[in-house]
Amino acid sequence: MNIQFKKGVLELCVLVVLCRKDFYGYELVQAISKNIDIAEGTVYPILRRLTKEGYFKTYIQESAEGPARKYYQITDKGREYQVELLQEWTKFIAGVNTLIGKEAAA
Amino acid sequence: MSKERFLSDLKSALGRMSEEERREVVYDYEEHFRMGAAEGKSEEQIAQGLGNPRVIGRSYAIDALLEEPKGGGDVKAASVLRAVFASISLTFFNIIFILGPFLGFVGVLIGLWATAVALGASGVAVVLSPIGALVVPGFVNLSGVSPLFLIFAGIGVAGLGVLAGIGMWKVTQLFVRGTAAYLRFNARIVTRRTQGGRE
Repeated sequence: MNIQFKKGVLELCVLVVLCRKDFYGYELVQAISKNIDIAEGTVYPILRRLTKEGYFKTYIQESAEGPARKYYQITDKGREYQVELLQEWTKFIAGVNTLIGKEAAA
Repeated sequence: MSKERFLSDLKSALGRMSEEERREVVYDYEEHFRMGAAEGKSEEQIAQGLGNPRVIGRSYAIDALLEEPKGGGDVKAASVLRAVFASISLTFFNIIFILGPFLGFVGVLIGLWATAVALGASGVAVVLSPIGALVVPGFVNLSGVSPLFLIFAGIGVAGLGVLAGIGMWKVTQLFVRGTAAYLRFNARIVTRRTQGGRE
C-alpha cells in the first residue's frame, strides 16, 4: 500500500483501536503494526497531538512485570471525532469501490 | 542504530520545546525500547521498527510551534516565523510553496505599512507648515495658500494615515493567523508524505 495513504489513515486507526479499550503506548503500536506496515515511531506524535487536542486522557498504572505504564483513554470528544472520521472514511472507501467496480466491469 | 543514537537524534530534532515536553517525548520512546527489549528484541531491531528519529522529532517540533495558544489567544508572530523555517527544513517542496508566497506577502505588507506611515507623516508636515513658514520663512514657502486650509487639509491626510495604520494592523494580524493555519495544514501533508522513514 502507498505510504502517504497509510499516514492519512493512521490517525483514524489510533482512534478506532482506543475506542475498544485503554492501551499503553507500546501495546497500541503493536496492535496497529500487526495489521498495517508502518514506521512504529510515527504513532507517538499522533498520540501526543490527539491528547493535547483533548481526544485522549492519559493515566499511569503500575504493572506486574515491571515499571509503571502510561495508558491512553479516549474521551467523549474523542469518540465523537472518531465517529466523524469513520463516516468520512466509509464514504471515501465506498466511492473508491464504486470506481473500481465500474473499471472492472468496463 | 543503537538506542543511544536514536534518542540523541530524536532530541536534537525536537527544536525549541520546553524541557518538560522533551522529557515526556523521550520517555515514550525509552518505554518503547524497554518493552521491546523485554520481548527479546535487540536495540537495532527496535530502532529499525520505529523509523527515522530525525523525521519523527521534526513532526513534534512543528506540532509544538503551531499549537493553538491556551485561552484562545493569538499565535505569536515569532513562533509562526520559526514554524516557517522548521517547515522549510522538512523538504525542498516547501522552499517553493511556503517561502515564496510568504516573502511575497511580507514584501506587500511592508510596502503598505510604509504607505500608511508616509500618509501620517506628510499630514503632520502639512499641519506644521504654516508654523514653519513663520519660523524659517526662507525655507518653507506656503505659495499663498491659506494657513487655515493647510491645517485642515493636513489633519485630513494625517487622519487617513491613522486609518490606514489601523487597517494594516488588522491585515497583519490576519496574515499571521492565516500563515499559522496554512502551516498547520501543510505540516500535516508534508509529514505524512515523509514520516515513514522506511520508503
